Order: sequence, then C-alpha cells, then structure tokens
Amino acid sequence: MLVTWKYRPRNTFIQRLDPRTRWIFLFSIILALTIPEIWDYRIIFPLFVLSLTLFFMARIEWKDVRRAFLSIFILVFFIVGLNAMLFGRGGPSSVQDPTSPVLFWVVTVSKAWFAIVQIMRMLTMAFLAIPIPYTMDPNIYGTTFKRMGVSDKVSFTIDLAFRFLPTFARDLTITMDAQRARGYELERLKGGIVARIQRLAPLIIPVVMQSTVTGEEVIDAMDLRAFGTARRSWLKELHYAPRDYFMIGLGVTIFLACCILKWGFGIGDFFVPEFFTRLVTG
Amino acid sequence: MNDKSTWEFGTRQVVYGAIGAALYGVFSWATNILFPLPAAGNVTFRPAVAVLIFFAVAYGPWVGLLAGFIGNMIGDGLSGWGFYWNWSLGNGLMGMIPGLIVMAISDFRARADILKAVGWGTLGIIVGMLFASLTEMFVGGIDFNTALVGYFVPAFLGNLVVTVILLPILMIAFAAVAARRGR
Repeated sequence: MLVTWKYRPRNTFIQRLDPRTRWIFLFSIILALTIPEIWDYRIIFPLFVLSLTLFFMARIEWKDVRRAFLSIFILVFFIVGLNAMLFGRGGPSSVQDPTSPVLFWVVTVSKAWFAIVQIMRMLTMAFLAIPIPYTMDPNIYGTTFKRMGVSDKVSFTIDLAFRFLPTFARDLTITMDAQRARGYELERLKGGIVARIQRLAPLIIPVVMQSTVTGEEVIDAMDLRAFGTARRSWLKELHYAPRDYFMIGLGVTIFLACCILKWGFGIGDFFVPEFFTRLVTG
Repeated sequence: MNDKSTWEFGTRQVVYGAIGAALYGVFSWATNILFPLPAAGNVTFRPAVAVLIFFAVAYGPWVGLLAGFIGNMIGDGLSGWGFYWNWSLGNGLMGMIPGLIVMAISDFRARADILKAVGWGTLGIIVGMLFASLTEMFVGGIDFNTALVGYFVPAFLGNLVVTVILLPILMIAFAAVAARRGR
C-alpha cells in the first residue's frame, strides 16, 4: 500500500501561481456568492465559466478526479438539485412564487430554474476547490499558512502533519501485514456494521498507540532544540509575481462587484428569465 | 475547564495535533479507498472520527481542533475531494469540544471516565456536524431540512456509532501504554 498525494508537478498557469493567491481567490469567489447572496444567473453563469476555465487550465486528468466528481455530482444533483426542484427551499422566497406555471406534480418553472441555478452555484465553488490537492505542493502548506498570517505553532503543526503522513501510512501497512500473518482477514470482515467496526480495532489500535510513543520522542527532540522559545524562520520562501497580483485583483474585484451590484443596484436576486419560461412551457 | 492546562498550547500540543491530523487523514483515506465500510443509506462510517476524539480527550482542545481541521484537509486531499473550509472547521469543532474534558479524565480505564469521554465526544459530533451542515445553508444555499436530514443526520449517526464502539477500546489501550511509559 502506498499513500500518494494527488499532487504532481505540471507546468501550468495554475501551478505557477503563488499558493496564497489560490486560497485568496477561492475565498473571494465563495464570499462573492454567499455574502451578498447572489442568485442571478447573469452573475453566476460567468463565474461558473471562469471557474470551469481555471479547472481546465489546471490540466488534471479525468481519471484522477473521476471519483471525486462522481461523489460531488451525486450530492449536488440528487440531494441538493432534486430537493430544490421539488420543494424550492433554501433560496430566496421568490422561488416559491405561487403564480409560476406548474410543469408536473409540484415542480414549477420557478423551482426548476432555481435547481439549475443552485447546481451551477455549487459547481462554481467545487471547480475551484477540487484542483487544490492535485495542483498544490503538500510541502508548502505550512509555509503558505504562515505567510498568510497564521501563527508559527499552527503553521508548524500543519507542516509536521504532512511530514508524519508517510510514517503512519507505513505503520498501517506493517500492522496490516502483521495481522494478516496472524490470520486476520481484512478483505473478509464479516457480521453487521458494529461487528465490522469492532474488527478494525486490531488494525487501528497498534498504529495509534505506536504514534503516541513516537510523539513523546519528537517532543523531547523539539524541546531539546528549544522549540517555541523564539520566532521561527521558514526554509521555503514565497514571492508574488505579477500574475498573482492580477488573480488577487480579479478575485477582490469580483467580490466587490457582487456586493455593489446587490446592495447598490439591487441586481443579483433570484428571477426566472423569459427564455427559460418559454422553453419549458412551449 | 478554562484553566491554563486545558488551553495550554506548547510543543506537546503541536506534536500531538500533527500526529492526530496525520492519523485522521490516513484512516479517513484508508476507509474511503482501501477497505471501504458499507454505508447504510447515505450514512458512512469513518473509524478515524474515534481516533480524533481520542486525541482530543487525551491531549486537550487545541489538539482536537487542529487534528480535526488539518486531518480533514489531509483526508479530503488524499481522497482527491478538494478543500471545503466549513467541513474542515466542523471537524475541528468535533475535536475541540471533547478536548474540554481533558482535565477531568484521570483514569482512562475507569468506566465513569470512559462514559464522560463518549458523552463529550457525542456533544462534539453534534456541534461539529451541525456547524458544517448549517453553514452549507449559506455556502450552498440549501434549506434547513436538507441541511438537517441530508447532511447532519447521516454524518452524526455514522460518527456516533464508530465513537461508541472504538473510543472505549482506544482509551483502555492507551491506559496500558501510558502506564508502561510512566508519563
């Protein structure tokens, strides 16, 4: 068993961006859609296209993201989308417009359009979030958070967690092999769910207990080197390039534009466009 | 529970926060990919949650918060899901709440202490998963019913089952290891 990161170096515009830029841009878009509560397709659709474009620019292969997308599509289309179409809850009250023509059963034109807008809105955020593990080097998470203002200790915890990962993955492999040698059949866990979870204990307990012992040794080593007594310096340096300023500027502009459009001009509320009503009602 | 020891954030908390996060990530990934447990409806069972709550109960709220937040980030990253801040923060809260009981646990083998840990763990699961589910109302624009029935209930039930089963086993094993180590 090999625990591998989804990250692979690719020579793409997305990977040349400073990791801080990626986080700031992601949060700008999330905030732009959520703080002023944007439900207008004229704003959401261009953002959807933008995030889809950035996703394709990351050049991640479909086989890598297939599993993640399958789960997200099931959630977005079946749990959220169907609920929005049948009940129209979650969005603004105008979705429940009683004068909206009924398409079938309880589904109205308004609810159907709302489902489409909501799915598009959620996918806009998902297309920006999914590429992160595939395109951001795990070795610079700690430095990134430090340079974004997070404390030394928290940033070091992040850094250390990523470094511990291969060790514990190896411990898990060794434990699995050792238990198999004793007749433990991981592939054939039998019984109900309670019994199956109980039978995972011989696998989980040794790894966790070994890690607590390892922890004490690491604490001693760090204390001997006076960890936490002064500000830390960080080996990796991060520098903004012009492209980073452009992306941060774009993210902030989108956020401000959404706020100004909604609160200054009243644009951004939910409404059903004429073309959709004509299309579905014939 | 607000004394200095509960909220202390030194080398010990940094190291066990990192270890908890790495284990939470590895076990989340293992049960997602390596040996998936059967799901009941949309309730999934993640044994990693019991490990998270154990670290919180043993080492305090900072360890629980960091292990939950970073561990969820690692688990989602390894499984290729992306990054969802509200679910990471919800997992952090799920670790932080049971960590508040750290000073009240004196014997990891005692029935009363195990019950306390399971009780606070359950509270942590409720608060953490409720936070993550309800913030989806603002982030995803879903309604209260979907947040509760579609998101919270499955997450709560799955996490509760693994905690009730595995947390006592982890605590009893830890008591033996701690006794042998002498600290």
